[in-house]
Amino acid sequence: MLIRTILVRLLTTAVTLFGVAVVVFTLVRVAPGNPIAMMLPPGATDEDIANLTALYGFDKSLPHQFVIWLGGVLQGDFGTSITLRQPVDELVLGRLPATLELSIMALVIALFAGGLMAVLGARHRGGSTEVGLDLTSGAVLSIPDFLWGLLFVLIFGVFWPVLSISGRIDPRMEFDFTTNFYVIEGILRGRFDVVGSTLSHMLMPAMSLALPLAAMIAQLLKQNLKEALVQDYTTLARVRGFSETAVILREALRNAALPTLTLVGVQFTFLIGGTVIVERLFAYEGLGNMAIDAVINRDLPLIQGIVLLFAALFIAINLIVDLSYTLLNPRLRHG
Amino acid sequence: MTKHRHTLDVVDLTIEIPNGMRLLRDVSLNLEPGEVRALVGESGAGKSMIGKAVLGILPSALKITSGEILMEGHNLGSLSPRARRAAVAETAALIPQDPLTALNPVRKIGPQITDPLVRIRGWSASEARKRALDLLDRVHIRAPERVMNSYPHELSGGMRQRVLIAAAFAPSPRLIVADEPTTALDVTVQKQILRLIRELQRETGTSVLFVTHDMGVVAKISQKVTVLFAGKVMEDAPTRDIFTDPGHPYTRALIAATPSHADPNRSFSPVPDSLIADLHRQIAQDDSLYRGARP
Amino acid sequence: MADATALPRARGPRSLNLRLWLPAAWLSLLALAALLAPFIAPHDPLAQDLLMERLPPFFMAGSEPGYWLGTDSLGRDVLSRMIYGARVALFVALIAATITCLFGSTLGLLAGYYGGWWDRVISRLVEIWMAFPPVLFAVLLVAVMGTGLFSVIAAIALIDWTRFARVIRAETMVQARMDYVDSARIGGANRLTTLAGEILPNVLPSIVALLMLEMGIAVIVEAILSFVNLSISTDDPTWGSMIAEGRGAIHFAWWVLLFPLIALFLTVLSFSTLGEGLKQRFDPVLQ
Repeated sequence: MLIRTILVRLLTTAVTLFGVAVVVFTLVRVAPGNPIAMMLPPGATDEDIANLTALYGFDKSLPHQFVIWLGGVLQGDFGTSITLRQPVDELVLGRLPATLELSIMALVIALFAGGLMAVLGARHRGGSTEVGLDLTSGAVLSIPDFLWGLLFVLIFGVFWPVLSISGRIDPRMEFDFTTNFYVIEGILRGRFDVVGSTLSHMLMPAMSLALPLAAMIAQLLKQNLKEALVQDYTTLARVRGFSETAVILREALRNAALPTLTLVGVQFTFLIGGTVIVERLFAYEGLGNMAIDAVINRDLPLIQGIVLLFAALFIAINLIVDLSYTLLNPRLRHG
Repeated sequence: MTKHRHTLDVVDLTIEIPNGMRLLRDVSLNLEPGEVRALVGESGAGKSMIGKAVLGILPSALKITSGEILMEGHNLGSLSPRARRAAVAETAALIPQDPLTALNPVRKIGPQITDPLVRIRGWSASEARKRALDLLDRVHIRAPERVMNSYPHELSGGMRQRVLIAAAFAPSPRLIVADEPTTALDVTVQKQILRLIRELQRETGTSVLFVTHDMGVVAKISQKVTVLFAGKVMEDAPTRDIFTDPGHPYTRALIAATPSHADPNRSFSPVPDSLIADLHRQIAQDDSLYRGARP
Repeated sequence: MADATALPRARGPRSLNLRLWLPAAWLSLLALAALLAPFIAPHDPLAQDLLMERLPPFFMAGSEPGYWLGTDSLGRDVLSRMIYGARVALFVALIAATITCLFGSTLGLLAGYYGGWWDRVISRLVEIWMAFPPVLFAVLLVAVMGTGLFSVIAAIALIDWTRFARVIRAETMVQARMDYVDSARIGGANRLTTLAGEILPNVLPSIVALLMLEMGIAVIVEAILSFVNLSISTDDPTWGSMIAEGRGAIHFAWWVLLFPLIALFLTVLSFSTLGEGLKQRFDPVLQ
């Protein structure tokens, strides 16, 4: 049963990925401007242009180009970046850790802050604390990450300059990374100065990304908690002498977390989508920042590679959330 | 009367909703140690509300506007919320109405029984586990080990109610509020559950406040009966007397409405409308007097 | 129980009114500023004056009278640029959100009511679209179509239709199962009349709320595209281009960033609050 579900999901996933590939390929190829002309020095002959065009396969028909490109992708060959002259997969995978670390830090902040607000609101339900929390989360929710980022740039860049507002790590930091997971590698190698520098650079972009999601979690989780708190099993726990906070944490939270989880999965993909502009804002050397440069420079193979990677990431997250929902829910697990 | 003799004293309890409408009207009753008192009435009579008030789990919109609840002589109303919760947990337990919703669906059965023993009473985990297994055995669950490791949805309704009965008796309470514990079950299972509660009650000597709408159940389980109508006590008497010589016309009508045990084929006779109307008129009069008397 | 249900209502209308009027007031002010921009802007928003560069706002030392909110690095008046920027912001909000709404809601209604192949194709498209990071998608689209107001509007519609399609599809499916739809069909109404006459009015509150939300989002998308230099030309006064300028000059003239940022905050918050408020007011179930 579970295996069948997974197989069906994988199949639709493949269809979706194929669709993404078609859309991005079409978009990129109908873009005006000749990318080849841009990469050659002034004074290049028509022959040079023709040679290079043939090298990148731009002289063939669109469907033909697509087949060649897709064939390459399926074999792990994403082509070569026009501006950076390196294989796309190397470039993209080199930047992915930065974006992943940032997104995961944002998710952790959102889960923690949102969870705390939800529990507080449920604990003081019906009172002015709940009304205040509702108003706060409602306002925070409607402001997108871009604006939070700008606000933090202003606050922590100008008025109270305690945190860095650009880059990923202090450039004076001397450390030879073997991977691009700065935080993880820093921890593993015991270089906590590196970890600290990286985290302090990540904090503001991560907060910008986390705030709207935190507000959403606060609202939905609180709603689910309140529904659980009128169930008989919570009443029984109260009779047995558990305090309201204990009832929320021990009895209600796990039930309320399940429906919240599905939302968090979808919202996490939105959060990762938000890294594109937030990374730009904080000059953070991640995938999104590279993507915008690629678009501005008309670096077609690189754009394709990045978009495809994002799409695969989003689909993978949704898949994982669906599966973990099944695994965490005892009623479905044995069903 | 020394109140300490009683496990529970409810004295002139009145409960209102915010607009001043009274849901319970000066209800008094008591429970002696080892006694089973049935609280009987039709739906909406306020019988479950008494149980909830006793256990301190009234919905927040409902307010106790007068009267007292004494548990083993302690006035619950005079305690802080925290102390009240501790006192109730120390003395009382609840067997809920619907076994399908009274067990947490995402937690295993075992911890749901042992948690209060360990975390509230301070028992060791192994003591609590032994106690839980013992009680599951006493409620005639065949494979207690396996049930402890199961999730609620893996058990039938009857099994779940057995689990809840075991959980209620596990901390050796002196008072159990049983809130229509058989209503949600199949007829065949109802009888087993009823027998089980009576059996455990006799073995342990726990007092039971048994909330029900079924006079047949009243006859089987209780020594004393309080008959409620519209939040008002109609009659309070030993069970034997109620059936042989009901003192109130409403009690008589309730008994008549129950299928007779001697003749199960006899049809239901509902409480006559004229009687209901009479009673409501009386209560409305009481209410207007009550309202007039208030500042 | 009449009294009990009256309780939450007692303070409902007043707080709801406030939540409608405050955002409406800000948006009206903005609309007024946009319409009357040539008459109320104290300066030409494009006029550069290198003698007047980076003047601070009125409450700081060194400010010049007449330049209330200061000037940017080219000596352009921040207040005037903000007033003209409101034109772009509101224009994009209204036009882009309306197009997006019409396009997305139509697809949502069709998928939700007709089901079958309609639903399969539309749902699959939505799924593919959701696999794109929206900002990157927008940047890419504008790069493909060329910069300019038209591209910005088209990009918003081409990306955000999925928001309407998803929500309206789900709500339509719920409505389509209701008894009143059956009775309308038995009464002889054909499918299209049923869709327009019975289902649409019931999903309209959600459409209105989403439309309002989308207006806020459109303003943000325009600002983001200006920020990466892909909206209309860099010289034109838009809040986004001011923000981009302000981000670059943040250590010399933070007010160039602060004031348009405040305007964006208030505008986005107003649109979403207004949307929620209108939804509650017109929702037949909540009435």
